[in-house]
Amino acid sequence: MFRKSLILVLAVLMIASGILTGCSGSETKDTASEVQSGQTEAVKKEDNTITIAVKDNLISMDPHDTNDTLSYSVQKTMMQGLVGFDKDMKVIPVLAESYEGSDDAKVFTFKLRQGVLFHDGTPFNAEAVKVNIDRLANPENKLKRHSLFALVEKTEVLDEYTVQVTLKEPFGAMINNFAHPAAMMHSPKALEKYGKEVGRHPVGTGPFKFVEWVPGDHFTVEKNPDYWKPGYPKIDGITFKPVPENGSRVAMLQTGEADYIYPVPAEQIEAIDGKNGIIVEHDPSIIVRDMTMNTMKKPYDDIRVRKAINYAINKEAYIKVVYNGYADVMDSIIAPNTQFYSKQTPYPYDIEKAKQLLKEAGYENGFETNLWGNNNSDTIKAMEFLQQQLAQIGIKVNVVPMESGTRAEKIWSVQKPEDAEVELYYGGWSPSTGDADWGIRPLLGGDSFPPKSYNTAYYKNEEVDKLIKAGLKTADYEKRKEAYEKVQKILWDEAPWAFLCVNQTIAGRKAYLEGVYLLPDGSLSVDDAEIKQ
Amino acid sequence: MLRYFLKRLLEVIPILLIVSILIFLFVHMIPGDPARLVAGEDASELDVQLVREELGLDKPLYEQYFTYISNLAQGDLGISMKTKRPVLNEIADRFVPTFTLTLSSMTWALIFGLFIGVVSATNRNKWQDYVGMFGAVSGISLPSFWLGLLLIQIFSVKFGWFPTGGYDSWKSYVLPSLTLGAGVAAVIARFTRSSLMEIMKEDYIRTGRAKGLCERIVVWKHAIKNAMIPVVTMVGLQFGFLLGGSIVVETVFSWPGMGRLMIDSVAFRDYPVIQAEMLLFALQFIIINLIVDMLYAVMNPQIRYK
Repeated sequence: MFRKSLILVLAVLMIASGILTGCSGSETKDTASEVQSGQTEAVKKEDNTITIAVKDNLISMDPHDTNDTLSYSVQKTMMQGLVGFDKDMKVIPVLAESYEGSDDAKVFTFKLRQGVLFHDGTPFNAEAVKVNIDRLANPENKLKRHSLFALVEKTEVLDEYTVQVTLKEPFGAMINNFAHPAAMMHSPKALEKYGKEVGRHPVGTGPFKFVEWVPGDHFTVEKNPDYWKPGYPKIDGITFKPVPENGSRVAMLQTGEADYIYPVPAEQIEAIDGKNGIIVEHDPSIIVRDMTMNTMKKPYDDIRVRKAINYAINKEAYIKVVYNGYADVMDSIIAPNTQFYSKQTPYPYDIEKAKQLLKEAGYENGFETNLWGNNNSDTIKAMEFLQQQLAQIGIKVNVVPMESGTRAEKIWSVQKPEDAEVELYYGGWSPSTGDADWGIRPLLGGDSFPPKSYNTAYYKNEEVDKLIKAGLKTADYEKRKEAYEKVQKILWDEAPWAFLCVNQTIAGRKAYLEGVYLLPDGSLSVDDAEIKQ
Repeated sequence: MLRYFLKRLLEVIPILLIVSILIFLFVHMIPGDPARLVAGEDASELDVQLVREELGLDKPLYEQYFTYISNLAQGDLGISMKTKRPVLNEIADRFVPTFTLTLSSMTWALIFGLFIGVVSATNRNKWQDYVGMFGAVSGISLPSFWLGLLLIQIFSVKFGWFPTGGYDSWKSYVLPSLTLGAGVAAVIARFTRSSLMEIMKEDYIRTGRAKGLCERIVVWKHAIKNAMIPVVTMVGLQFGFLLGGSIVVETVFSWPGMGRLMIDSVAFRDYPVIQAEMLLFALQFIIINLIVDMLYAVMNPQIRYK
């Protein structure tokens, strides 16, 4: 009897799994799954659609309520804003033909492109812009990107293709906020129809239209035949696939299951570049890596200690160890591709000088301290490197990797700066508006202490705060430039951080795929994607 | 047996209620402010505050619990904080891939595991035994992470037979289910072997042999049945664990399953999703236990139920 039941159980299991497998294996036809073996001959592309493998899952398709760069990258295939960023993070017109800001940086007027349609046929006009900006500006909607537009007092329709936004107070970096992907436009009809669910039903004016989204598995868009820019897009569709494991993502590019992948881990570049028709591209990003020092706490309240730490770290070695050489030494508190960047002179690697400074500050025998950071392997590697470097001048660093929630709790639950436990903190920052303001104010502004923002150095300097305000009060390019140049100089000399590096973005593509690239903020641009073979 | 089954099924309700309370408390005890995590590290205080209100996290804990329980009673698992989709959809989307992967892995594992176990036990200390156990020890010791990447390198990159991952056709099941099944098959093989060898020492087996039964009948008709009881328990447990989602295999093969959902939701402190997943996990184990108990009765009628 048992044998029979065993056979029965096995049979049922097999049939069940067979049926279920059969059911699930449908829809997505992947031409690339007829895999090419690992030969070096030029690889051909069968059809005109591409697959892009990315690291994380997508979260939302509502740009107003998004804060991860990856979701933005995918949204940008379907949706557009009044202005946007070009390859070097310079602001360019997109759905607006032109724009101007008043001298006091309070009133911004946009002339809109005519004859543009949303994917659902709704015309794009001043009214549509007003609906979107109003949605963002209204705190009642509880959108994650409300703060970028919290200053908006009113949005007025001047005529069908002219719209004017008035702010409550001057804000010189406003045009960059408009260029931020958060300001991309939903179809007003879609907003009305889907309400809060609009994050699942993106309807924009972009080159591609939404097809389907299977969370955790894939996201597909297809060509928008009515796209306003003649001759674009040049491919028929894109499938995005979240592939968290680095090795698997690289394998997908090798087999041709993916045509473009990012990020490519630095240690794998050599193994794949130039083989199987793969090209690896790396470019400077605007992501800076630093170690903040709590300037309210001893011994970091002493500028000599902070400088000593900067002198004690060999940045070239750091870049080799942590990023396999794919990063650049930081030479200002913001990266070169950030607006108003002004170059400073990096602190050279000088152990003797570091020791001398420590001695002057009264720490001849060093001290013991805690370094906090993320618990991913790159961060731990970096923190251990810093531990080793600082040991050379007698500073004993305890590396404390923390899981994201714990770390957030430790940093943002602190209400009074005196209670902050943080001493050294290893982190990074990417100013998503591409403007100096967003690269400085949240990190080093006197009113940006946690929990308000990200000033884990608890750094406060009246002169700096004055200059930050001056940079915001006006839309005048030269005035802003002057203010930010001064700020960068002061901050560099004051060294509230150990300045480490500017990351590079690293992506891999098949040679036949052109026009897909990463912006310095790590977001993807596919507008010019083209298959050439 | 049907009455017993129904009775046990009813017992599930109070257990789930207690579990739900524990889960709620446990989840809210993990450090980390979900509003901050959901809003993102570069969010301003204003944004975080808006997110907190949106998620209802500004309300006192007892109020949050009351909402949670009353929604749960109506079968509403809430809305994911991160994706703002209903948790039920979120989990339903991920359950099927994990379930089918578990079934296919288990099928492999049972076939190979039982076969190797029985062959090893009946050929004790012969080459078949050594080969079988060598395989089993390897299966247990190979990290599935490494095995998965190795299989991808060989069968996807080198030969191009199977896709590197994803969840498409039957082809995409082969590598992940082999990876996931390897460890389980090894455990089954070892359990079957030792359990069968133990049984073969029993008096009734000796009696059978003394009566002149041929070895095949002794093994297959009399020994295996009893030897299977511990194996079934173990298989049930393994099944439960696999259904919880194998994080490593799902990550390596980009499988859209429960394991990855769990990791993501914990990283974001997505309370409703964590709670629902844990509840489902508890339910799965209860049901599997029930099935295991039923199987006992099938295999050995001496085990009775009241």
